[in-house]
Amino acid sequence: MVLSSRTFCAHVIIINFLLLLSCNMVYGTPTDIFCLESIKKSLEDPYGYLNSSWDFNNNTEGFICRFTGVECWHPDENKVLNLKLSNMGLKGQFPRAIQNCSSLTGLDLSINKLSGTIPTDINHILEYVTTLDLSSNDFSGTIPVGLANCSYLNSLKLDQNQLTGQIPGQFSTLSRLKVFTVTNNLLTGQIPNLRNISADSYANNPGLCGSPLPACQAPPSKSNSAVIAEAAVSEFIVCHVN
Amino acid sequence: MMGLFSSLMSSFLLLAILGFGLVLIVSGNAEVDALYAWKMNLSDPNSVLQSWDATLVNPCTWFNVTCNSDNSVTHIDLGNANLSGQLVPQLGQLSNLQNLEAYGNNLNGTIPDEFGNLTNLVSLELFFNRLSGPIPGTLGKLQKLRELRLNNNNLSGNIPMSLTNVGSLQVLDFSNNHLTGDIPNNGSFSVLTPLSFHNNPGLKPPKYQTSPLPPAPSSSAASSSVLSVSSGSLLLGLCSCLFSLHYLLVLLPYQD
Repeated sequence: MVLSSRTFCAHVIIINFLLLLSCNMVYGTPTDIFCLESIKKSLEDPYGYLNSSWDFNNNTEGFICRFTGVECWHPDENKVLNLKLSNMGLKGQFPRAIQNCSSLTGLDLSINKLSGTIPTDINHILEYVTTLDLSSNDFSGTIPVGLANCSYLNSLKLDQNQLTGQIPGQFSTLSRLKVFTVTNNLLTGQIPNLRNISADSYANNPGLCGSPLPACQAPPSKSNSAVIAEAAVSEFIVCHVN
Repeated sequence: MMGLFSSLMSSFLLLAILGFGLVLIVSGNAEVDALYAWKMNLSDPNSVLQSWDATLVNPCTWFNVTCNSDNSVTHIDLGNANLSGQLVPQLGQLSNLQNLEAYGNNLNGTIPDEFGNLTNLVSLELFFNRLSGPIPGTLGKLQKLRELRLNNNNLSGNIPMSLTNVGSLQVLDFSNNHLTGDIPNNGSFSVLTPLSFHNNPGLKPPKYQTSPLPPAPSSSAASSSVLSVSSGSLLLGLCSCLFSLHYLLVLLPYQD
């Protein structure tokens, strides 16, 4: 199938417009009510925990403070302090709409069936988070480096998921971090130097190494220069095939 | 002679009984007195404090006052009551007080140092008033305090470091005041973010550790060789990506 240059351009423009549109649908009115409404829409709630309690029709001051799992800064003001939605059988991706709860300090989504990746821009979504518990879900992909910029983090629980890759070295900058667990994941590589975090916080990750676990092993015998030469040759072939 | 003596004795006895009774009435209930002293310092246009009667044996039947089973005050609920006036030191005598809610009024003056004696206090809600002066350092003695909301007042001075020793703190809001100095980030303040302190132009945020901790010494040689292998495949991937892009944007459109 060949395209004229004009048709091709038109396709590009349409795709960009759709992308822009979907972005705007995520970042709507920055109120906490919109935040919770969006979270409810984005998650599957098979046991109806949110469905029964999160009623947006009775719109009085502070009404969201009476919702299951919602703790407000003040009981009469719709400003979410903590969101605790543990063990509700919730399904879906990480609810990005939580960015609209701009005064949130605590998020507990543990023991659910959430999947997909942890957003890479999590430090923009949860700017002031002090306690983050995503444990016992089905999250995959890597631990985003962005979490290292959530500088108010005191407690970060990521255990019992399917996270891969390394723990970002930048986590050593989290000066308030006191609780950190990643047990039962698929993490590999060198553990960053974190104060007061013991070895059992890293258990059941076959590839993790470095203090406080045993040191990392040397790689297999193939020399570095041989591997780089191989990569260069295949690169040459592909780039000049046409 | 005997008659005079006996009448003198009975008068003396009567006086003693009256005097004793008088002493009883005058001493009354310390908590009644404390709360009544506060009422005397308040202007109450909505007559919210109408039931606050000083002649009663305890304040437990007063509206907006709750007591425990020992008839001692545990809750004061005077939020949004249109009260003006000041807090009084005598309120510090309410040793069983757990909740003091006086938010959304027109209270001025300072927060008494004596509030540091309210050792059973769980929540102190004085937000949206016109309170001025410093946050008393004595509040650091309140080891059961969970909620401290002093936002939207005219409070000034530094945040007392003693508050970092209040391990029970869960919600703290000092926003919208005129506080100055450093924001502590140790002890109980470790879980507090700028959200608790916003709109205090003179407050300085805590400094963060800018340089990361040095990496563990053991296996730096192994990690560098792992890095060079992956950079080779990275170059490969990048080149094929750029090539495909080149094909799509430049070569394809000309194949009409």
